[in-house]
Amino acid sequence: MKVSYYPGCSLEVTAKPYDTSAQQVCRSLGVELEEVPQWCCCGSSPALKMDGLLSTALSAQNLVHIEGQSVDKVVIPCPFCFRRLLSAQEEIQADQDLKTTVQNVIQAEIAGQLDIQNLLGFLRYDIGLESIREKVVQPLSGLRLLTYYGCYLVKPSGVTHYDDGEYPVSMDEVLQALGAEVLDWDFKTECCGAGLSLSKTDTVVELTRRIMREAKFKEADALVVACQLCQANLDMRQEEIGKAEDTDMAIPIIYFTQLMGLAFGLPAKQLGLNHHLIDPISLLKSKGLA
Amino acid sequence: MHRLKGHPEERRFLEEVIEKSGQNLLECLQCGKCTGSCPISSQTVGGPRQLIARILHNMQDAALEDPTWWYCVSCGTCANRCPVEINMYQVATALCEMAEEAAVAPCEPAIHRFEELFLKSVRKYGRVQELKTVMQFNMRSFQPFKDAKKGLQLMLKGAISPVHFIKGGAKDPRVADIFTRVEQLKQGEKAHES
Ligand code: SF4
Ligand code: SF4
Repeated sequence: MKVSYYPGCSLEVTAKPYDTSAQQVCRSLGVELEEVPQWCCCGSSPALKMDGLLSTALSAQNLVHIEGQSVDKVVIPCPFCFRRLLSAQEEIQADQDLKTTVQNVIQAEIAGQLDIQNLLGFLRYDIGLESIREKVVQPLSGLRLLTYYGCYLVKPSGVTHYDDGEYPVSMDEVLQALGAEVLDWDFKTECCGAGLSLSKTDTVVELTRRIMREAKFKEADALVVACQLCQANLDMRQEEIGKAEDTDMAIPIIYFTQLMGLAFGLPAKQLGLNHHLIDPISLLKSKGLA
Repeated sequence: MHRLKGHPEERRFLEEVIEKSGQNLLECLQCGKCTGSCPISSQTVGGPRQLIARILHNMQDAALEDPTWWYCVSCGTCANRCPVEINMYQVATALCEMAEEAAVAPCEPAIHRFEELFLKSVRKYGRVQELKTVMQFNMRSFQPFKDAKKGLQLMLKGAISPVHFIKGGAKDPRVADIFTRVEQLKQGEKAHES
């Protein structure tokens, strides 16, 4: 199967492990990811906040590039890019005036009929649990995991049309198919505040602190994420949280694609598992998985 | 519902926000589910319910200087839980644009600074140069070594490359053109109005 792949800015530089593990896992599952030629930034939250038209136009520019690829499906690992491109396409379809304006701004015609999917949803539903299970050579037994979906992948439901905005389960199902033990908790979609990480660090430390305190209470081995913003934020702020709570706080934050790769028998280093601040390697070694 | 009794002139601001955001704030029940769920509501940041109350009461200055929409991280939790599906991050965009038009100084300069630097980078390179933007933000906020230790650790692990702190990627003039055309369009509208 061949699909278009829109990595987004973070996966090029700060979230390489997400990109490389996604690429390898898709290859193992017989999926060919064809990167969108000449893609650009979707404008992320700054454009969405400061300039609605600019935000929609940047997404539309990417949709046009994808439409040029002659595949009908695009798979997007970054939840923000996923939600933004999906919502831009819907906005343009619903409003002819907006469509005309946007087409003028990007100076291109847009069809607006793409099947836009996030990477997790694509693997869970299009590829399916059965195919995932078949590839497992090293079951992740003995790993106690919590799934953390964050916001943009599922919220608001009326925009993402994906899983459940309050209590999603798709990542849980994938990890269970890999043989891991998935714990239950109430923080699957609690916001970690990543967008304010630089400008309002205190707010973000408080938000991540609530999440990590609960993760520790649940005695999880690791938190599994599908978003590079959540990954960086939760990985980076634990030192401060530990100090504030007067306790050791060092729970690895791992991409679900890294765990898929590991279960498929790929080496931990090749999946970038040695590239996180809180190193998951010793945990994985203790479980005989690395 | 005294908000509906106002003279049309008194409802001008409210109507503009509704039109720009596409969110029918007149349906708001003031139930507070949004603020109760909003991650950024705090003692100093009033949250979406209060912001909507200000808009409904035509308190333009208070609404355009409300920190809530600057803080809003577009998490979508409010829209998910709101009984009438009001999406606050769309309202945030509308208010941000209206505040800029009305030349209201950003009441949250740090958030504004970051968002501007981010978009500057996108305008120049087509893709945001994250690490360079972080550096620029920290320099301009007079805290050059903020999180520097973590950056260094990640570099030592080989997770990020020092090059990306200084060097940008290739330039992408097509994206700069999009920025320019959006600007021109807005200036045209302004000229048309006045
Ligand atoms: S949840 Fe909806 S109806 Fe309730 S106060 Fe918030 S915006 Fe208004
Ligand atoms: S979208 Fe904005 S206003 Fe709504 S809950 Fe999230 S941060 Fe709060």
